[in-house]
Amino acid sequence: MQPTVITFEDLIKINDFLWEISKSFRPDMRVPARIYMTEKMFGDIRDDKSLVQLINVSTLPGIQKFALAMPDIHQGYGFPIGGVAATAVHEGGVISPGGIGYDINCGVRLLVSDLTVGEIKPRLDTLATALFNAVPSGVGRGGKVKLSAADMDKVLMQGAKRMVELGYGTEEDLEYCEESGCMPGANVDDVSDKAKKRGLDQLGTLGSGNHFLEVQVVDEIYDKAAAQAFGLFKGAVTVMIHCGSRGLGHQICTDHVRSMNAKMPDFGYQLPDRELVCAPVLSPEGESYFAAMVGGSNFAWANRHLIGHWVRETWKKVIGPDAELTTVYDVSHNIGKRETHMIDARPVELLVHRKGATRAFGPGLPEIPSKYKSVGQPVFIPGTMGTSSYILVGNNEGMEQSFGTSCHGAGRRMSRSKAKKLVRGSELRKELESRGIIIRCDSSAGLAEEAPIAYKDVDIVVNVVTGAKLADKVARVKPLAVIKGG
Amino acid sequence: MTKDFEQLSHTADVQLRVYGKDIEELFRNALRGMFYLVVPKLPTCKMVDDRIVCDEFTCERDLKVTSPDRDALLVDFLSDALYFFAVHKEVYLDVMFKTLTDTKLEATIRGVKHEGMQLEIKAVTYHDLHIKKIDGTWQTDIVFDI
Repeated sequence: MQPTVITFEDLIKINDFLWEISKSFRPDMRVPARIYMTEKMFGDIRDDKSLVQLINVSTLPGIQKFALAMPDIHQGYGFPIGGVAATAVHEGGVISPGGIGYDINCGVRLLVSDLTVGEIKPRLDTLATALFNAVPSGVGRGGKVKLSAADMDKVLMQGAKRMVELGYGTEEDLEYCEESGCMPGANVDDVSDKAKKRGLDQLGTLGSGNHFLEVQVVDEIYDKAAAQAFGLFKGAVTVMIHCGSRGLGHQICTDHVRSMNAKMPDFGYQLPDRELVCAPVLSPEGESYFAAMVGGSNFAWANRHLIGHWVRETWKKVIGPDAELTTVYDVSHNIGKRETHMIDARPVELLVHRKGATRAFGPGLPEIPSKYKSVGQPVFIPGTMGTSSYILVGNNEGMEQSFGTSCHGAGRRMSRSKAKKLVRGSELRKELESRGIIIRCDSSAGLAEEAPIAYKDVDIVVNVVTGAKLADKVARVKPLAVIKGG
Repeated sequence: MTKDFEQLSHTADVQLRVYGKDIEELFRNALRGMFYLVVPKLPTCKMVDDRIVCDEFTCERDLKVTSPDRDALLVDFLSDALYFFAVHKEVYLDVMFKTLTDTKLEATIRGVKHEGMQLEIKAVTYHDLHIKKIDGTWQTDIVFDI
């Protein structure tokens, strides 16, 4: 019988911010499991299945070094949210769609204004309403752009680049985006007609749940050089966009989990959880899923790019035609990437699964835009609608420890139903508005589900990331206006 | 009232425990439970014991599913219903089976037209899904990614 409960005594302390469950804890573990957290944070995950799920991840064929959990870890299905696993592509390593998630390339884009909070504030209320009207949000809301089947294939292949060709956004937006908004390796034949159909009217839509659009102010700078490179200064106004690949991505994952599941007896893997279904990266099934996942990722980048375009258009209408909004960067936090990292002093090509985790590459790497090359890649950690969010930067220690990965948010600590029992949406709205935060959300229940109390303390989560040296703090932002679906 | 389904606590997603006196009823209650999460109330139908009861169904979709085993069959069945919901804007509240074996089903799902939803389910997952008989009642947990 496999242990289903992990006690604090099962954890080995590596340092104040890092704990390990040894490989001998369960016979099917291939590598140790490591969790970035403080001792006190164990309480948040003690009673859920996060750590069992992390141990399950450590059994994946070809996994290298450790199964890792970021400090925003919480229970998911298959992988925990905040889970990272790297498998060796040429040494039998697998790719697992559940390790990337159903919302393929869910991620965050940040834009910065050339104006300060003092200049924006008088028009903030009008701006929030205009943004709410310009960007479709909420459950099942379709978008303003309807794609033809041929257009859809181009978006899957070219991502945000196709949006620029169609007149949305700028070349500069592409430069400041992970993979330049167009990841190579997509194949439209690996994306089902069902998936394409679901995506036809969803480009340029936020969706619901924890997805949002937020106007923020930079209230603290920690690293002047990096902040300057990113165009951030104290008092600057930023816009953060959090969303993913919508129904298209959900269907891609569903389809490929189904087809891999049917092939599992052929692969002969013994997996502790069926949601970890996987295939060798270099098998026809693995390659087909990867090509579809890249298409889904490109769709998500096109989605955030288009939303960014509408935000900018709205901004100019409300604030003035000369008001600029510049894209700082756009990062994915649900994705699988083929990357080369050093394992035992030799370069190894890996399939890095980041499930609720953000790539955080250190300075000097070719993947980073030239303007940021000397400081490192920007990383965005959204908090909650009532607290702070952070802008971090990747570093060299993170490259060694976590395959260049940081956390992706505050991390839930409470179920949505419990949050709704404890918090009334209307009262939360009043409380936030009394603190000067404008809320545009047409569902009070949706608001309550995402209440700050339902999340871990983002300050503590980020302090673990920086304390463990996975990434460094650059700036902190506070919400001014929150726009979200219900 | 015989227990049909209930919601369990899950930190980030939604988990249902579904019951049935036989496999057909288990699959039917899983379908009803899933759509109860998505649309708990419908303006065109009445509520009885917190469940939607429609006088008539106005839309039907035929499903044919083949899967490696019964657990996978349930996931695939619900995933297909979710797809039809996404593209046709229809809520399904009943199912008539022509065939239902451990690996195959042919069925007609029935429901009503409905735009909008309270909860967007991204996917039906295999996590913790094990169909088993306990004290004469079939049951399983299902985790939905939301």
